[in-house]
Amino acid sequence: MENLISIFVNSVFVGNILLAYFLGMCSYLAVSQNLKTSAGLGVAVIFVLAITTPANWAVYHFLLAPGALSWAGLPEMDLSFLKFILFIAVIAGMVQVVEMVIDRYSQTLYNSLGVFLPLITVNCAILGTSLFMVERRYSFAESVVFGIGSGTGWALAILAMATVMQKLRYADVPEGLQGFGIRMITTGLMAMAFMLFSGITL
Amino acid sequence: MKKTIQRFFETLRPRFEKGGRFQRWYAFYESIETIFFAPGVPTTATPHVRDSLDVKRYMASVVVVLLPLLVFGMYNTGYQSQLASGKTPELLLSFWIGFKAVIPLVIVSYLFGFGWEIVFARIRGHEISEGVFVTAMLFPLTLPPTTPLWQAAMGISFGVVIGKEIFGGTGRNFLNPALAGRAFLYFAYPVQMSGDAVWTVLSGARQTAVDAFSSATPLVVAFEAKTAGAVEEALAEVGYPFWKLFFGLYPDSIGASSTFLCLVGALVLMAIGVASYRIIVGDILGVVLTGAVLNLIATEGSIPYMTMNPLYHLIIGGTAFGIAFMTTDPVSAPDLHPARWIYGFLIGALTVLIRVFNPAFPEGIMLAILFMNVFAPLLDHVVLKFRLRRRIANV
Repeated sequence: MENLISIFVNSVFVGNILLAYFLGMCSYLAVSQNLKTSAGLGVAVIFVLAITTPANWAVYHFLLAPGALSWAGLPEMDLSFLKFILFIAVIAGMVQVVEMVIDRYSQTLYNSLGVFLPLITVNCAILGTSLFMVERRYSFAESVVFGIGSGTGWALAILAMATVMQKLRYADVPEGLQGFGIRMITTGLMAMAFMLFSGITL
Repeated sequence: MKKTIQRFFETLRPRFEKGGRFQRWYAFYESIETIFFAPGVPTTATPHVRDSLDVKRYMASVVVVLLPLLVFGMYNTGYQSQLASGKTPELLLSFWIGFKAVIPLVIVSYLFGFGWEIVFARIRGHEISEGVFVTAMLFPLTLPPTTPLWQAAMGISFGVVIGKEIFGGTGRNFLNPALAGRAFLYFAYPVQMSGDAVWTVLSGARQTAVDAFSSATPLVVAFEAKTAGAVEEALAEVGYPFWKLFFGLYPDSIGASSTFLCLVGALVLMAIGVASYRIIVGDILGVVLTGAVLNLIATEGSIPYMTMNPLYHLIIGGTAFGIAFMTTDPVSAPDLHPARWIYGFLIGALTVLIRVFNPAFPEGIMLAILFMNVFAPLLDHVVLKFRLRRRIANV
């Protein structure tokens, strides 16, 4: 239990997927001017990460890892080189399913997420979390917590960014820096503040 | 007297206004004139509060409160320097040594801070804001007295340009510029910004301090204390009893050591309404309560630091300075009252947690404040949402 809590805190603050590893930047930079969409996208990312990370865990441990195919009588087989392509396929499939379910049961959420829901497929934070999960040899329970934690960290970062951007509406940014320029600098300054947690070993 | 000065400015003004010969220097002229007279032009953009207190006087009050800290910082720097050379500190000599070490840092900080402000005011056509006076005063006070001058110049430049000017100047930034510059230096030049040796200026030809002198800051001593429940004793053993820590005669950043002067400053700023008492009380509550909770949950095998008396967290390191002058920065703090309480409390709590649990940073308040600066708009937003929900709709 203690282990799970420390993985959660670690993935939200210490190793924040966005501000410590800079994954998932594209949708973060594109969406963060609008607080409502940011919140929606944040929730969607938490949700997608919470299901794709364990799903990829299962795929890896029952199909890809060295010796994983021993249940099929192939203990020598090592398919782990396929993990990139298979992970992204699993993620794409999962996002499709989530999209259909949301479309069926909550039209309002579906409309507010719009194009960003399918775009989650190519959000590097999602694939990155699955790959970290393999690299750090998490167990199944750990991968669930890690997925939720990473998603929460990402959502926290985009929410903070969106509200900072709201405050910066009153800013008077030099012409050359307007738009992406100031957003990149803001993200850098935020990442500096997030260094607060770097060095904590849980 | 007043009439003469007024006439002087009135004859000068047309030359600096639009169409005048020196119109490109208007910002500079304006900043001098408003030292003597409150600006005659009212704020036009909404929202604003009608008050005789303009930005210049608001900021100047902070600088005035910081001056005793600067003087004490100079004395302390010289005092520690003499102790480190194995001499008995003398009052005037201490001042002189400290003066030689500290004043160049302050001058560099003002030169570069003010320089960037003028450059931006000139190019972007905004007024020279007095925010930079406070920033350039706060910044050197947070530095170790041995900081090389070029690094001080780098730090203040980063703070003023990246921390503030690219967002359009005072009032539009989201991080505290002085702290942004300080954090930049901390990560860019860790050798000169951390460790035991940087906090004491060695005078003369001396390369190392005498053996009897402990150059470890109280923060390091407390972190490395071995026995649970005896952190205070460990501090007293190396020469840091409670009252010495409270009054600030120990090696630390130039201006941050004296809790006493920070307390006086905070009280003055609260009394004249410049600093928000909600943030300050929230900060103190955060530090003390978190320290107390750590005391309660500390067991046999846990870090001895956890058992330290929570009050000590307020008097060692830069907590008091940060609480009094950094967290209360009206620009980077949240604006709504409940948000301010939460903001303060979380800064205090994070400071203690980072000190105790993060071996990478002996001091947590700098990054804790920056971290909460990032979340200040979110706190405001959540409080506002909560308030709107409680409102009865369209009655």
